[in-house]
Amino acid sequence: MNCEQYEEKFSDYISKQLTIAEREEFEKHLAGCESCMQEFTAIQQVWDLMDEIQVPEPGGHMPVKFKAMLDTYKQSVDEKKEAFSIKELLARLWQWQPRWPLAYSLVIVLISFGSGYLVFHASTTGKQDEQLQALTSQVHELKQTMMLALLENPSASERIKGVSYTSEIKHADKEVIDALFATLNNDPNVNVRLSTLDALTHLAAHPEVRQGLIQSIIQQDSPLMQSAIADVMLKLQEKGSVNSFKQLLKQKDLNPGVKDKIRQTITQLI
Amino acid sequence: MNALSDNTIMLRVKAGDLERMGLLFERHYRSLYGFLFHMTYHREASEDMVQTVFYKMLRYRNSFTGEGEFMAWMYQIARNVLKDEVKKKGKLPGTHHDANELADRLPGGASADEHLEKKQANAGLYMAMNKLSDDNREILTLSRFQELKYQEIGQILGITEGAAKVRAFRAMQELKDIYTKMER
Repeated sequence: MNCEQYEEKFSDYISKQLTIAEREEFEKHLAGCESCMQEFTAIQQVWDLMDEIQVPEPGGHMPVKFKAMLDTYKQSVDEKKEAFSIKELLARLWQWQPRWPLAYSLVIVLISFGSGYLVFHASTTGKQDEQLQALTSQVHELKQTMMLALLENPSASERIKGVSYTSEIKHADKEVIDALFATLNNDPNVNVRLSTLDALTHLAAHPEVRQGLIQSIIQQDSPLMQSAIADVMLKLQEKGSVNSFKQLLKQKDLNPGVKDKIRQTITQLI
Repeated sequence: MNALSDNTIMLRVKAGDLERMGLLFERHYRSLYGFLFHMTYHREASEDMVQTVFYKMLRYRNSFTGEGEFMAWMYQIARNVLKDEVKKKGKLPGTHHDANELADRLPGGASADEHLEKKQANAGLYMAMNKLSDDNREILTLSRFQELKYQEIGQILGITEGAAKVRAFRAMQELKDIYTKMER
């Protein structure tokens, strides 16, 4: 054994952790090795001196402080447990409540993306026109249905919205035209009737629309509508309306202003 | 009476019986305080840190597996608390002061004269201890003052028993060198 190997032993020796046999062996080495003896003796002296390093007594309040800390900690743990259970309850509620609506929304989103993908993906394969036409007619139908539904709405502004959709419907069919005339002749709100008149003017290319408008002249009792419909007839240069206007002039309670306007219209049309 | 082992008690604390921590405090707060005092030479700071160590043992009770000794676990937490203290203040609370300031804080005997005498006798050694690196002071404290076995010290420091012995020897050598130089 060389001196370095005794370093480990010395740590044991100085803290009295060697067996008797080991201690004797160690002391034998010291006796025969001057440098080790010197080093170890010096260390031993300092080691013994360390006895004098004293530790002041810890304050008597320490156990009290510890107890307070423990109690506070226990309380905070209990509160956490409570908060946790409330959280759990909320989580469970959340799981229950919107599960079906969520699934429903997800399906809708998937269908939208799926159809979008199909439409645009198919366009690259040459079926573009077919698909697009099908889609356009579907949108068209949808708008028409929506318009018809809106015309039945109790709110006047919703009905006006419904009427305005007709400007987007390129090929108005009989169902739409009938619905518009029903509104024109029967809607209680004058603003709705005015917008309907406007919408029908755009569709005046249809003979049945012109005919319907002429028939509608005598059905209007509001001066506003009467004068508006006279404007439309003048714009369309519809001579067939003259008879209806003459009939209207016979009404006794006709607004004098409207009377003048209609007379003017009749002369201009003839 | 058959006293329960530290590990058994700590496992019960871990299982939720927090009140039992009081028993472990009774058993260990003095020696823990001693360790922290030797590391800082600052009484109030050491007392505060004892509380912090026990608080951390409660808070991180789930990290106690029961495989190692409770004592080793406790000292590991105490070392982390010391490290946090160094991080916070840049150094340990009571270390690296000048000689007079240090001497004033040394515990002394009953009478004033005796106090003064002791102060002078001890001051050199305190100063030498104070000049040791934190690592060396730590291993000396654990073996000399805490009277732990090298196998336990190894567990605390995360090194082998043999390495702990060699490091302890090197620390003693350094202390002796510093002390002899100061005496001259």
